[in-house]
Amino acid sequence: MISPKVITHWWQGILAPSIAGVLVVALFVGGVSSYFIRQSLSDREQKQAIRRLTEALETVQSTASIAAFTHDAQLASEVVEGLMRTSDILMVKIETDGKILAQDMRSLKAPSANARLTSDMGIAVHQSSLSKPLVSPFNKTETIGHIILQPDWLMIESRVRQNVQQTLWLLLAEMVAVLLSVAAVMLFFVLRPIKEISDRLHHAAPETGAQIDIPEGHEKTEIGRLVGDVNSITNRLVMLLAHEREIQKQREIAQKKYQNLFDHATSGIFVADKTGRLDSFNPAFSELVWHAYVSQDKDPNLFDAAWQAPEKIKSLFVLALRQETAGRVSTDDFLLRGRRGDERWLSISLASLGDGSLQGTVTDVTARKQEEIQARRLAGMDALTGLANRQGLMEVLSRRTVGDVKKRPFAVLMINLDGFGQINESMGLPVGDDVLKVVADRIRAFIQGDDYSARIGGDEFVLVLEDKFACDAFDHQLRDFFVVLQQPYRMAVPDAVRVISIQASAGVAFYAADSSQGVDAHELLRHAELALMTARSAGGHTYRFFEPQLLVAAEHRRRIEDDLKQALEDGSLYLGFQPIVDLTSGTVVGAESLIRWVHPTRGMVSPDIFIPLAEEVGLISEIGLLVLEKACQVVSQWRAKAQPLYVSINVSALQIPNALPPATIISALARHGLPPDALAIEITEGVLMGNVSVAQTWMTQLGEAGLRVYLDDFGTGYSSLSYLKRFPLNAVKIDKSFIHDLAEDSNDKALVNAIVTMAKSLSLDVIAEGVESAEHLSILREMGCRFGQGFLFSPAVQAHLFEETVKDIEQRLAAMPVPW
Amino acid sequence: MCFRLCLTLCFDAMVNKLLRQFIFVTMMLFSAGHAWADLVIVTSEATGISTLSKEDVINIYLGRYRRLPNALPALPIDMAESSEIKKKFYWRLVGKTLAEINSYWSRLIFSGQTQPPAVLNSSEDAIMRIHRVPGTIGYIERGNHSKLDKRLVVVFELGE
Repeated sequence: MISPKVITHWWQGILAPSIAGVLVVALFVGGVSSYFIRQSLSDREQKQAIRRLTEALETVQSTASIAAFTHDAQLASEVVEGLMRTSDILMVKIETDGKILAQDMRSLKAPSANARLTSDMGIAVHQSSLSKPLVSPFNKTETIGHIILQPDWLMIESRVRQNVQQTLWLLLAEMVAVLLSVAAVMLFFVLRPIKEISDRLHHAAPETGAQIDIPEGHEKTEIGRLVGDVNSITNRLVMLLAHEREIQKQREIAQKKYQNLFDHATSGIFVADKTGRLDSFNPAFSELVWHAYVSQDKDPNLFDAAWQAPEKIKSLFVLALRQETAGRVSTDDFLLRGRRGDERWLSISLASLGDGSLQGTVTDVTARKQEEIQARRLAGMDALTGLANRQGLMEVLSRRTVGDVKKRPFAVLMINLDGFGQINESMGLPVGDDVLKVVADRIRAFIQGDDYSARIGGDEFVLVLEDKFACDAFDHQLRDFFVVLQQPYRMAVPDAVRVISIQASAGVAFYAADSSQGVDAHELLRHAELALMTARSAGGHTYRFFEPQLLVAAEHRRRIEDDLKQALEDGSLYLGFQPIVDLTSGTVVGAESLIRWVHPTRGMVSPDIFIPLAEEVGLISEIGLLVLEKACQVVSQWRAKAQPLYVSINVSALQIPNALPPATIISALARHGLPPDALAIEITEGVLMGNVSVAQTWMTQLGEAGLRVYLDDFGTGYSSLSYLKRFPLNAVKIDKSFIHDLAEDSNDKALVNAIVTMAKSLSLDVIAEGVESAEHLSILREMGCRFGQGFLFSPAVQAHLFEETVKDIEQRLAAMPVPW
Repeated sequence: MCFRLCLTLCFDAMVNKLLRQFIFVTMMLFSAGHAWADLVIVTSEATGISTLSKEDVINIYLGRYRRLPNALPALPIDMAESSEIKKKFYWRLVGKTLAEINSYWSRLIFSGQTQPPAVLNSSEDAIMRIHRVPGTIGYIERGNHSKLDKRLVVVFELGE
């Protein structure tokens, strides 16, 4: 137990240095103090000697004075002898009147006593003798001689030396005593207890918590406290050791648990460095990544497995290492391709361990991945036609327009079926759906290779033509496709086969890989849509190509929209009134109200432009209400002047039924105190072609309330005679295109004649629009057309000019050379 | 020894002081009662001197010199111890009491060669000695002297 190093030589212990230290200090102090003692002693002794001798001199002074006064040598000798008895005195001499009265001198031991004395003493010695003047006993002012005394400095010095020696011996003795006692104290009170403690410590076993006894007599000393502290540290150490052992044990258990988890986990677990070299992995891992790839050599690497895209795993590694400090887990899915063409999706989660290596878990997510792919496919697909839906289309378009990869040019074709709504309405949704399926089939037959097709709305299709576009005769192919698309559709309806003819419009936009950079999917679709709108506004069943001007026009329209909204608010929309004349009597019976818009910068804007716009952007409802209100105001003014005129207002299909409900019209009339015949409603054939029952109900309600309903623009559309029968109409207005060439075109004439005749037979009034000449007037009168309007009478005028206009018309007509 | 010597000296000084005061008082009383006569130092014509200084008188009477200024041996004569004139003489000469004078002499007599002046019992004896031995000097009261002897030479007057 005792190591040899522990035993030290006595000169290495505490005792020797302390004693040496005390010795050095003592020697130094002794040396210095002996010097000073010697100095002060000799000084004191010298002074004492001088004082003593002076006293002695003073004692004998009076006697010496008497001896000197009387020149009594004997007496003087007595005095001298008396003084010489003092051993410190070397010589005494009494002088009077310049003569020596008495003198005595001690014989010197060495001839150069005084010289030696000086060197021995080391201090300045009074070589001079003591001298006292002798005065006359009877006259103190008279000096009669001197008594001179030479001290024996040698004697004094020897006494000083003796004293010094004694003192130094005493000092030395003291020092020795102190040294001995220091040594003894050190030995007994410090070294021995320490030795004892040391011995006990050597033999103690601290891990057992053994306590060391306090050396006897040291219960309350520092030694005792030291032992106490050592004991308490031992106790703490024992506790700490126990704690450590406990932790160690738990750690082992935990280790064992984790080892089991590692070995038996169904997820693959691995630790790899940044190059993918695998440090460790569990059986599940090697199974998941197809063992053979990983462990075929001694240095298995994760990247060596049959990944479809190993570089993606590498980038995940880089990402995970970068997120080292964030402590986050990076996860991604990777495809593994087997030898026999089988696939497996593995999700790898990586977490950096902080030392450049990564810990990862691998799970098989093939099932989930397949579901996802399926779901994505479904999400991007139109269930009815099997084509892509809008979402799928946008993905494809985005992919083909965005990114750095060199793109091929392609065309986007947006197709809209004209009047598809009527098919749904008239034949039912199943037939409509069947038609759509057939359309999809025809589209599928057309496209090829990487071309792509989607249905993005009820009857809206989009084709992305890439391979097709690359063909030489793209234009021809497109035209042929359009012909095919519009061929009659044979649909099986219950009990029969119906042949349905469907027209289609289309807009085509191009994506040129080099020049169209920055055009994204949405813009491309917008281009196609604009082209489609152009095709539709050109009457449909055709296609148009996108041109940059379309964008300008669209922008133009958008501005007009904004301005229109503004106009509704600031009242720059107003009504013009075109008189309607009774052709038989030549009197004005009413007026058609026509909305007018004077744009602040563009001037007059045609309703043909802004009304469709208003319909598109939903402003038509507000415009309709404005028109109703203004018309009522004007009629009530006329009626107030006892002019039984009426005003007709135009109502578009979009206003029926909710934007302008019959109740609103009726309540407006009531508010202005007008009878129902003060207002007529003009509708177009488009209203009748929409939702038939809704239109019918709307019109019936108005008719029942006493309002008249006119069918506007008759002859331009389908002009189905059945409409005239089915709907509660009061009059038809013959379109001005028929009237225009009435005089020249016999066909028109016949047509108009037929309409008039037919209307009469159906007891409908007829109003001819666009009556521009007296010739028109006379022909219409011959035909028996009752009413007319047109520039012959007057254009639309503002309300405040109307009264005057009426007078003017009636005067002019009256002046005409015709029989009224 | 030193201590004792010191004590003795102190004691001497005390006694001296007291005594001096006492004498002073008695003298004052005395002089108030009697007419005061001057002391004079006289010698015979044969001595050959006509005057002495006070220092001469002191030196001669207190044993310093044994010769007169004219080299004749000086023979001073003292009065009896108890005599009033002796007391007066020393007091006036050196301002010391007889005790002090005695102490002075005792030191000389005890170990030295010097002897005090010869003592005579009366002024008459003194005058006789003065006449008989030239060089002899003595002190007497003036009154007596002028009445008794014209041959005496006054060499020094010791006034108050």
